Amino acid sequence: MAKIDLDKMLTKVKNTQWALSDIDWEAPGADLITEEQWPKLKEFMADLMWIEHVGARAFAAMAKKAPTDTLRELYTYFHAEEQRHANAEMALMKRWGMLDGDELPEPNINLRLVIEWLDRYSDEMPVYVLGTVVPMLEIALDGALCKFLLDTVDDPVCHQAFEKINDDESRHLGVGFTVMEMQGHGATYIKMVEMAAQLMDPRLILGIASYFPLLNKMRDNVVAMGLSEEKLYECMRKFEKIGGRTEDGRRNVWFQIIKQHSRWVVDRDNRFYHAPVDAIVRLTGYIPRKALPAIPSWVRELTYKPTA
Amino acid sequence: MSKSTTTRKNPSATVLIVGAGFAGLGAAIRLQQAGIRDIVTLERADRVGGTWRDNNYPGAACDIPSNLYSYSFDQNPDWSRSFSGSEEILGYIQAMVERFGLQKYIRFNQNVTDLAFDDELGVWHATTEAGEVFSGRAAVMAQGPLSNAGFPDIPGIEDYQGHKIHSAAWDHDYDFRGKKVGVIGTGASAIQIIPELVKEAGKLTVFQRTPAWVMPRPDFETPDWQKTLFRKVPASQSALRKGLYLAHESMALAVIWDSPVTRMAERLGRWHLKRQVKDRWLRRQLTPDYRIGCKRILVSNDYYPALQQPNCKLITWPIARLSEHGIRTVEGIEHQFDAIVFATGFDVSHSGTPFPVRGSGGRLLADDWKRGAQAYKSINVAGYPNLFLTFGPNSGPGHNSALVYMESQIDYIVKGVKTILSRNLKALAVRDRAQQEYNEAIQQRLAKTNWNSGCKSWYLTEDGFNATMYPGFASQYANQMKELDLRDYSLVTA
Ligand SMILES: Cc1cc2nc3c(=O)[nH]c(=O)nc-3n(C[C@H](O)[C@H](O)[C@H](O)COP(=O)(O)OP(=O)(O)OC[C@H]3O[C@@H](n4cnc5c(N)ncnc54)[C@H](O)[C@@H]3O)c2cc1C
Repeated sequence: MAKIDLDKMLTKVKNTQWALSDIDWEAPGADLITEEQWPKLKEFMADLMWIEHVGARAFAAMAKKAPTDTLRELYTYFHAEEQRHANAEMALMKRWGMLDGDELPEPNINLRLVIEWLDRYSDEMPVYVLGTVVPMLEIALDGALCKFLLDTVDDPVCHQAFEKINDDESRHLGVGFTVMEMQGHGATYIKMVEMAAQLMDPRLILGIASYFPLLNKMRDNVVAMGLSEEKLYECMRKFEKIGGRTEDGRRNVWFQIIKQHSRWVVDRDNRFYHAPVDAIVRLTGYIPRKALPAIPSWVRELTYKPTA
Repeated sequence: MSKSTTTRKNPSATVLIVGAGFAGLGAAIRLQQAGIRDIVTLERADRVGGTWRDNNYPGAACDIPSNLYSYSFDQNPDWSRSFSGSEEILGYIQAMVERFGLQKYIRFNQNVTDLAFDDELGVWHATTEAGEVFSGRAAVMAQGPLSNAGFPDIPGIEDYQGHKIHSAAWDHDYDFRGKKVGVIGTGASAIQIIPELVKEAGKLTVFQRTPAWVMPRPDFETPDWQKTLFRKVPASQSALRKGLYLAHESMALAVIWDSPVTRMAERLGRWHLKRQVKDRWLRRQLTPDYRIGCKRILVSNDYYPALQQPNCKLITWPIARLSEHGIRTVEGIEHQFDAIVFATGFDVSHSGTPFPVRGSGGRLLADDWKRGAQAYKSINVAGYPNLFLTFGPNSGPGHNSALVYMESQIDYIVKGVKTILSRNLKALAVRDRAQQEYNEAIQQRLAKTNWNSGCKSWYLTEDGFNATMYPGFASQYANQMKELDLRDYSLVTA
């Protein structure tokens, strides 16, 4: 992946739009989902859909903070495109009879915490924090979850949808890594310290506190579905390789932090990291739903219906 | 110039005016009052009124108080509200035509397609679509800054099979009741249309690209006693006008430059939003991300509430394309509509001209303006003798009534025409140097304004050149227009 021209990318993004109605959601093949697969796939799809949706919201925050007009417009598009992915995945769930009527799949408690954090604080985060976390999440999505899904599910409509989704994601990644390098470019020692100092921001700490358990929980879910941990490792190595391919990229402090962290996440033997985080996952399980504020209205924008 | 053999030539007039909107009519009135009665006004439509003839969509109204958005030389004591509706403003314009007997000057259905100066004779010739040529010793371009509207260039616009309506050409026969309606745009027109349409449409979906700053609108019905007072003591209306004028002048501090008043205005905008919109996400969608004043500031009390009606929805996903049944946005959903309203604004030319304008030696104004429009005091252009522009380059008001600026321009035109007549000039031509110096100063001042602070708007060309706005108070503008300084002109006698 070479460093890309963002203006050309924007034009390309505008010229390669697709819509849910480009796909025939009633086409044959839905019955290729086996009964055994069904319950786990349902959980998996719900997670996947929620990650896309949370990623969408992160792009919305990045659009607010984007340093140039082109990036702002790109992020505005990516925000909508991630939403499109979530919508398409919801449409697949509908097709496979995994939705309870028209209901949104219930977000798990860790997701609720992340949604809450995004709603309250993401707009105030410096763009390079989300700008590094998001490519990492996307590479995990792109590289592991989606590929795994396609390996396990035979339904041609699923393949059709993910072909489109993956095309979008590869563009998001291209931009993501380019921006990471831009941010590392010419980073002086002072700037690096400044970037790292953001870690002390209590709002960010709150974000981390809700985000770490979510990752652990999701990792457990996908592993339960049969995704090998090796696949996750591969993704992280890909992230490290691309993100660190240039001096500029390596100078981005957030790349270093996220890289280190993603190593811990996939390494289940790292008790030092996982014992406390897993404990939090268990703890958060005790949070009564009623204690959480109402789901923000942006979540209600999700839909599986191609037309409105 | 005269392509067809059917061209009919008319005897030359003293002044040729293109357009019978506020500007063209106002010019005719003041010229007439100065004793110049040999006027020909060419109007492409079959009625006067310009902006207020064309923009009669539901909710259309001015957003500068009527007592200021009217001519000081023809005040109307009977405005029914602080911000009158389109129909009432059109009524005022039509009454003005009656009062001053302007009908005799106007040639309707004459769409000017070419304007050319004859150096030899010192006369401007306007050729119209109807194949006629009209001439005048001086020409006034009053064809309006916002008079050309078309459907925007959105991919797939030809594919859409439902009903298409442009805000500036409303279809009053279309019955919106119970229909699924989309509105593209959230600018000055849209925020007036939406609160009205939401009352009728079954479902209204609003597509927003950039949220604007929206301020509370102090709109009241005029009490009867006030109308009586204004009629009996016209000075009281002039006093109110003066007060409104000064109030708007003070807004320049917020609108034009980045000052503590700008922060206050932004706070007022945010307060208005917070008071009217409770949902955090909707509020975020509606929060502007540029400095106030960078684009036109909107005023409305019922726009935000309208968006929150159960049958209304705001969409901020980018539009991918139009399809047979509706609008596809990037989140992958096709929003289907019986009708789509395009409140997408006007074709504003920053560099071109709406029709070819040929000056001395046949030079083309569009060529001279290739790198951004330029004029001397917004009104004359070097190389185009005896030609006067209303709403010319850098005459746009951001904070005050357009008519205040127009009055200054019109009176300047009267001075110019009087000079041409009294000195019997073939050419009153502004000097290159004077124009250049004027523009350097203007661009320097513009660099420090909010309009040039980084947002994209129709005030700027693609490469960010501001040929639209006047960077100062209306009184500063009026001041610069007071004097016609002959040292800045070269005079060629006939
Ligand atoms: C919806 C709307 C609301 C507005 N509200 C305000 C406000 O509140 N306050 C404010 O200060 N300004 C407002 N404006 C700006 C408004 O345009 C000016 O205030 C003013 O009306 C312009 O007058 P004009 O005579 O220059 O142009 P117009 O009113 O546009 O008149 C130009 C005339 O020229 C004719 N014409 C155009 N081209 C040709 C041609 N080639 N040949 C022959 N005739 C031609 C047109 O048909 C038209 O009749 C508003 C504009 C719009 C669109």
